[in-house]
Amino acid sequence: MSFSIKKQGDIVVVDVEGQLIVGNRQELKQKVLDELEKGEKKFLIDFSQTGYIDSSGLGVLVSLSKKIREQGGELRLANLNDDLKTLFELTKLDTLFQIADTRERALESF
Amino acid sequence: MKELDVVLTAFREATGCEAAVWLEGPNGRLVATASSNAGASPPPFPPAHTEPPRRVITARGEMLVTAISGPRAAWLAIGPCGAGGAAELDAYRRFLLPVVTQYLQSALEVEHAAAELAERYEEINLLYTISEILGRAVTLEETAVTILEEVSGTVGARRASILVHDRVTDTLNVVAALGVVAAEAPPIAVDDPNSVSARVFREQHLRIVEEGEMLCDAERPYRKGAMMSVPIMWTSPTGGSEPLGVVNLSGRHGDQPFTAGDQKLMAAIATQIGTAIQNARLVRSSLNQQKLLQEMQLAHDLQMKLLPRADVVAPEATVSARVIPAESVGGDFYNLFRLGEGRTGVMIGDVSSHGYRAALIMALTMSATAIHAQRTSDPAQTLDALLHSVRDELESTEMFVSVFYGVVDPAAERLRYSNTGHPHAFVIGANGSCERLPALDPPLGMVPDAPAAQERPWASGEDLLLLFTDGISDARGRDGERLGEQAVLETVLKHRAEEPSEIVEHVFEILRQHMGDTPRRDDLTLVVLRS
Repeated sequence: MSFSIKKQGDIVVVDVEGQLIVGNRQELKQKVLDELEKGEKKFLIDFSQTGYIDSSGLGVLVSLSKKIREQGGELRLANLNDDLKTLFELTKLDTLFQIADTRERALESF
Repeated sequence: MKELDVVLTAFREATGCEAAVWLEGPNGRLVATASSNAGASPPPFPPAHTEPPRRVITARGEMLVTAISGPRAAWLAIGPCGAGGAAELDAYRRFLLPVVTQYLQSALEVEHAAAELAERYEEINLLYTISEILGRAVTLEETAVTILEEVSGTVGARRASILVHDRVTDTLNVVAALGVVAAEAPPIAVDDPNSVSARVFREQHLRIVEEGEMLCDAERPYRKGAMMSVPIMWTSPTGGSEPLGVVNLSGRHGDQPFTAGDQKLMAAIATQIGTAIQNARLVRSSLNQQKLLQEMQLAHDLQMKLLPRADVVAPEATVSARVIPAESVGGDFYNLFRLGEGRTGVMIGDVSSHGYRAALIMALTMSATAIHAQRTSDPAQTLDALLHSVRDELESTEMFVSVFYGVVDPAAERLRYSNTGHPHAFVIGANGSCERLPALDPPLGMVPDAPAAQERPWASGEDLLLLFTDGISDARGRDGERLGEQAVLETVLKHRAEEPSEIVEHVFEILRQHMGDTPRRDDLTLVVLRS
């Protein structure tokens, strides 16, 4: 379970490996907020290597989305697997995020 | 020495000569340890060990006095004798001396063994006494001074102290001392280079230091002369060994050195004290844990009491509901309301966290809903009012609540519902149909907008409203696989004609089979309603 952060142009790309759950959500939050603090505006969280997100994990995504928006930035999500896509649809969270099928499309959408 | 008396008396009867064995007493005087004549007088001028036997003429007759070889100063005196006996004194000496020497030697060995046994007995008695003292008390502080008194009495040390390691401050603190008030003795840092106690603690090895080696002021109050410092060790059942403190002894009577026996004894006592310290710590932590468990149980009971009984909506609706929190308290809940005119309000919710914070939000949501649900039968208005009540709390804690709230009106055969982010809400028809009631909005707390509501037909007395939280569909089995929503739906469909309470039982049965003894990661909540 870890988060890797790299820059692609002016976009901060975060890979979530494993799970995003109550135990590690703060780590993700802190990493993204640190980048936001440095003045970064464009964020992409890639879930291609993510198996599971619990409700606390969803909470942190919503909270990050708000904070990035407040700073005039943008957040995109990409590569949600079928289970996660269903979860976002069933909870109407898909209405709160800009979600792309692939990383490339997400990068192009900024 | 009774046996030797008998030998010497028999000797007199055979030879006509008196005989006595004399020992040098503590004041240099001779004392008869055995004699053929109870009233015999000590021989004057007994020869030294290196000197030959000496003939002594007394008023009663001639005597032959011989030093007996051995560790103690002792003499054999033969005579005076009856008529003609004096001539045989030398012959008698040659006969009697080996017998007496051998006897005396054996007697001395027995005496020595007895003395050693007495000493061992004292030590064993001390160990026994200490284990008894420790066994009676829960904390070391209660008993430490008594232990020190016993130890110093046996070892003959006037100063003694027990220092116990404080893991937070990494210092050795005096818990008991003889000759100084423990509370006034300053703590010693474990890394203090001048302290004997600290060094013994670090090296976990007994040390005896002479008076000149005293360099640490903190140790001065309980040191006098040479000091023996012994580490208090605790050996865990797994074999690991850990230092817990130090016992110090000093101020021996007559400045006698500490012997190997003292060292062994102290090591044994230190082990006992170590076990006592460890036991006391375990007792303390077990008491704390017990208290915590009791508090958690209380919180659990309180939370369960917030949930309504399923029959509060009877007879308009038949409901069965069950919540099993993952921890002692959880964030799942359900609520039931009688709304008049045969209508029933049913709610299921999941706070996006676990434990006490989630439980607080849950309690707040429960009580706010109870107020708002009675004011309107429109689910959207109820949830909007609820959102206003809990919004600040949700924002400050970064939590949110997924809620499904439905109002069943059997007379009008309508179900009106709002769903803010709750994924698992279904209407199961008597014919085996299964329709999901999808979320109309994201969970409460994520967006500021007022929730929406939707309406659909309701077959009174036939349709089932099935609500459950993701703790059930996401429940992991032994191999980590999820139970899945489909398994729950299939079970409910199979038993749809049965009573809600039976259906709930069936679902929890497949959960039990799926999970086995795998620990629960999330709260489990299930509500089934027919109306």
